[in-house]
Amino acid sequence: MRAVYKKELKSYFLTPGAYIFMGAFLLIAGLLFSLQNIFTGNSDFATFLGSLIFIFLLVVPILTMRLFTEEKRQKTDTLLLSSPVSIVGIVLGKYLAAVTVFLLTLVVTILFPLFLSFHGKMDWAQIWGTYIGFFFLGSAFIAIGTFLSEVAESQTSAAILTFCGLLASWVIDYVRSFVPMSSMAGAIFILILAGIAIAVFQNKAQDWRISAAAAVVAIVVVIILYFTAADALYGLISKFIAWFSLTSRFQRFSMGILKLDAVIYYMSFSAFFLYITGSRIENRRWS
Amino acid sequence: MIQVEHLTKKFGRVVAVDDISFKIERGEVIGFLGPNGAGKSTVMNILTGCISASDGKSMINGIDILDDPSAVKRMIGYLPENPPLYVEMTAIEFLHTVCDLKNISRVKRKVEIEQVMERVGITHVSGRLIRNLSKGYRQRVGLAQAMIGKPPIMIFDEPTVGLDPGQIIGIRNLINDLGKDHTVILSSHILSEVQAMCERVMIISKGKIIASDTPENLSHHLFGTNRLFISAAADREDVEKTVKGIPDILEYQIEDGEEAGAVNVKLKATENADIRKAVFSAFAAANQPLLMMRPIDLSLEEIFLDLTRAEVEL
Repeated sequence: MRAVYKKELKSYFLTPGAYIFMGAFLLIAGLLFSLQNIFTGNSDFATFLGSLIFIFLLVVPILTMRLFTEEKRQKTDTLLLSSPVSIVGIVLGKYLAAVTVFLLTLVVTILFPLFLSFHGKMDWAQIWGTYIGFFFLGSAFIAIGTFLSEVAESQTSAAILTFCGLLASWVIDYVRSFVPMSSMAGAIFILILAGIAIAVFQNKAQDWRISAAAAVVAIVVVIILYFTAADALYGLISKFIAWFSLTSRFQRFSMGILKLDAVIYYMSFSAFFLYITGSRIENRRWS
Repeated sequence: MIQVEHLTKKFGRVVAVDDISFKIERGEVIGFLGPNGAGKSTVMNILTGCISASDGKSMINGIDILDDPSAVKRMIGYLPENPPLYVEMTAIEFLHTVCDLKNISRVKRKVEIEQVMERVGITHVSGRLIRNLSKGYRQRVGLAQAMIGKPPIMIFDEPTVGLDPGQIIGIRNLINDLGKDHTVILSSHILSEVQAMCERVMIISKGKIIASDTPENLSHHLFGTNRLFISAAADREDVEKTVKGIPDILEYQIEDGEEAGAVNVKLKATENADIRKAVFSAFAAANQPLLMMRPIDLSLEEIFLDLTRAEVEL
């Protein structure tokens, strides 16, 4: 893993990748900081960091788009796959290299509150909290980007896919308030999810009997739930969507609250995306 | 050293490698020969662990690649068809990265890289970006990459493709040199190359091994030495008369020779017959001087075409 990490970090700084990412992010961050804090004489740095998330969302694709697409294009993936490095090592090495570049950029932005601290009293607890939240949120974004660069064939498509994916995770909070809340909608939603799961299973295992049995069980369970515990089904779609909302969990950090559950959420979110990245690579070797 | 049993690889419904089994001993130099798309690269990718077989076993030194992939990968140096190079690095930076990937200790690294660069002849371009190197040098950097860590087995997929004749000879010499103390597998669809480098040839077509032997034996076994090419200083009619008088001749073909007053004759005798003496005596008796006589040795090209013809005709 260390070899891949080292190689990837080196590539970041040998190609324009890291410079474009850092340049774009720091430029916009600097502009925003001047406008929001310097010119208005405002010392509320946490709010500034909060608005920085959106900027970060725009530049993450620059950071992650080349991770796997470039290997595929240059056919260098055979070098990694034929050397004594595990697939977990490859994925983790690449991901951590991207996270390192992100962390370096974040360290540069610590200059901003430092400037402010000369002129006023800073709430450092809140600032550190926001930074920690930002770091974990950013890592989760990078994990999505890593996965999508494995999926995509070219850097451009990887960047576009990542941008859309991250935008969707951003917009998801707004969508939540418009989905139907009734128990009936919840029941139908469970059935759709079960249907998808069964279809995937059927596609892999090609066993009609098990699939049909699973479908019957799913329908019966949903009907029983609907008539006995309708409350549990109420607002289910909204709750389900909330699982995927990365940004809503960030709010608490910017209040200076260090919530362990949010940190674990971000880490497991990243782990999940890295896991499916690895299993995709493994799958390609077998198919 | 390398043992492959009933290896099969399917890509969706396409069968790329169809139930292949073979064994390669330590120190052998083996050539995989076959048309494009025959499955040579797929076999190599399976041996090196880049892809997994759908069925069958691939073992190196008795270790199954599925049981301990990194132990197997440590024993193999692999140069795929497209040399896997990080073009944004210089040659020496790239080789350092390869050392990292192959877990070469820091102490040995410097000497190792210097030796390998010396051997493939890239020392003088080591500080240049790989992006700016010519195809020939890139190929050599690719070879260097495979040689790092002194793996006992080297696998080269079409090592000379796209190179100019001078470079081809350079790489060929290098591989001949490597063959002295390594097990080497290389693939090619250029047949003279395999003939020049390999002790044993496996002809692969449509995912199957259709022949496996030394280049000489393949040629001999399939066509024997019962074909002769002669050139005689005489008239066509006289030569034809003489040829008809020789026993065991099945077919003959007479053409005007390049020299004035000479004719060329191609003779085909019955299986296993050695007609050289009879030809000489007959022509001497008829007072028709032989200017040249040589056996017609089929090149691998012809063997190859002959063995894979069925496929071409389909």
